[in-house]
Amino acid sequence: MKNYLTELFQYRELLFNLTVNEMKLRYRNSVLGFLWTILNPLFYLLILSLVFSKIIRFQIENYTIFLFAGLTSWMMIQQTVVIATGSIVNNQALIRKVYIPKMVFPLSNILARFVDHVIMSLLLLGFMVFFHVPLTWNLLFIPVALCLHFFFSLGLSLISATAYIKIRDVQNIIAIVFQALFFATPIIYSLNILPANYRPYFLWNPFYYFVQCFRYPVYYASLPPRQDFMIALVLTVVIFIAGVVIFHRKEKLFVFHLS
Amino acid sequence: MDLASIQVSSVGVKFNLGFEQKGGRNPLRLLLMRGKKRDFWALKEISFETNRGEILGIIGGNGAGKSTLLKIIAGIYPATEGKIQIQGSIAPLIELGAAFNPELTGAENIFLTGSIFRIPRKEIKQSFDKIIEFSGLRSFIHSPVKNYSSGMFIRLAFSIVIFFQPDIVLIDEVFSVGDRAFQQKSFDKILSFRKRGATILLVSHDTNLISQICDRTLVLSRGEMSFLGSTDEAVDHYHQLIKSGEGLEADKGLGEQDAAVHDRRRWGNKQVEIQSVRFVDETGSPRSDFKSGDYFEAQLVYVSHLRDETPVFGIAINTIYKLLIYGPNTLESGLQKDLPHEGTVRFIIPYLPLFEGDYLFSASAYDPTLSRAYDHHDMMYHFKVSSPGQRDFGCVQINSRWEISGE
Repeated sequence: MKNYLTELFQYRELLFNLTVNEMKLRYRNSVLGFLWTILNPLFYLLILSLVFSKIIRFQIENYTIFLFAGLTSWMMIQQTVVIATGSIVNNQALIRKVYIPKMVFPLSNILARFVDHVIMSLLLLGFMVFFHVPLTWNLLFIPVALCLHFFFSLGLSLISATAYIKIRDVQNIIAIVFQALFFATPIIYSLNILPANYRPYFLWNPFYYFVQCFRYPVYYASLPPRQDFMIALVLTVVIFIAGVVIFHRKEKLFVFHLS
Repeated sequence: MDLASIQVSSVGVKFNLGFEQKGGRNPLRLLLMRGKKRDFWALKEISFETNRGEILGIIGGNGAGKSTLLKIIAGIYPATEGKIQIQGSIAPLIELGAAFNPELTGAENIFLTGSIFRIPRKEIKQSFDKIIEFSGLRSFIHSPVKNYSSGMFIRLAFSIVIFFQPDIVLIDEVFSVGDRAFQQKSFDKILSFRKRGATILLVSHDTNLISQICDRTLVLSRGEMSFLGSTDEAVDHYHQLIKSGEGLEADKGLGEQDAAVHDRRRWGNKQVEIQSVRFVDETGSPRSDFKSGDYFEAQLVYVSHLRDETPVFGIAINTIYKLLIYGPNTLESGLQKDLPHEGTVRFIIPYLPLFEGDYLFSASAYDPTLSRAYDHHDMMYHFKVSSPGQRDFGCVQINSRWEISGE
């Protein structure tokens, strides 16, 4: 494992190049370019916010911030996993012709997305100022929450990217599962507007704890409940280690399954 | 540093064929990762060492495992068994430009490729100008490489790798692409690496090239080491293999028996049987080595069991890359009437227009509509041509002349 990390470190410039290229190429030939990184989620936010605060009236104070926080947390994991699942298969031309530690591919995908999400988080900060939400020291927890999101989605991506090589149905399954989970996770609503007897079921959803970790410092101006944070932390550690182990075991054989 | 730069000990690689190709994709089976697996050993029991400053040639027919061997040394495929030890940095000139991102410009791709070979950015910056200079692509360096011609693509890729001062260079038929001047330039550059102590592994079909520059040569046949030693002996050994028809089959070894190899190169209902094929010179004595411009004659001895139809005889000459050079038949020649039931068909080239190299020869007998094969011997025969003093390029002389006029 130590050799593995040393090797990855030797490829840090490649990792950097791939990450930068991905961001560069994503919007090449578009007029607004990198602005789309912000505009896309912003419009999504606007639509959801209109629908659920003006048409379907949720009784949630400062709904835009509530939604924004939940949405940022959600997209951080969902977008990353959906994109990184294809990272090995999409780079097969390269993998079949040059030796590169395969970890570089999902990692560069995730890093490129992570940059987006950090920008989103900063934009959220701007929204908080605009909507006169108090800024407290609890916001310092956000970087911790970001790290949890990062490693959790990395772990998930490594597992899904490995599975996707052999079974191409994985990508479709993931898309559907995430769609269902979007509504099963308290992003556009809060748990306490649900009937009390349903709530326990929602606690089985791992994404709930990540949303909590991110939303508490922003919306409730406090640290997340200790228990929620611990569950998110344990999930992150377990999924991350599982992801690295599975990926590392199979990565040498990837080349045989690509064609 | 140790003297041995590459050490390969009893390496084997197994490919798993069955899984992808199996017709019925039972989803349950797929999930359980089960399935009838057909294994295929692309390489078996390969052992050799190379020294610093050595050029090792690797020859063998299609599917002999040459490219697979290079890819294992480059780390692209893992060895199923055995061990590979490598000292120093490797520059694989295997699939040039594979690392390029077509959307990026030439300059951006130089940095990308550099980082794939773990070259620090600083070093790339230092050689940046030299790379562009060598590639001769200065005016295109800021356009996306997707707009490059294939020649430009290769030139850039080659120039990048060449400037990284590798300890080990793996070359797979690179010299068959690009223009001649660039080939020569690159070739000189690679040879200069040897003086620095770099090891070079050269895979080629071109036995002339191998004979010219390789210190030692490895002959592969069906994934196994057939010979390793002095280049002259290796080339001889390789020609023996070609003659015996071994090592030419591309898709053999997939669990088929040897006997099937012969069958796959010969088919037809045998109503007309070609019993033997031989090459002779103008005195009628058999030979398989010719010079350009020589008299060449192929004799097909046949027996016909047909009653009233007359068969059409044909021949074909291919390069060892299986490119068809010429494939005439008797239908076009008007030699159709009154064939004896037994006899010899003679195909004569008064002045052999072929240049130096190895050629494959096919002979066949068909019905007059050319739809039914009586007997087809596909590339079963082999002859060699040498052309001392030849200055033209290519494999065949085309009857032509030059004219130059002023204003």
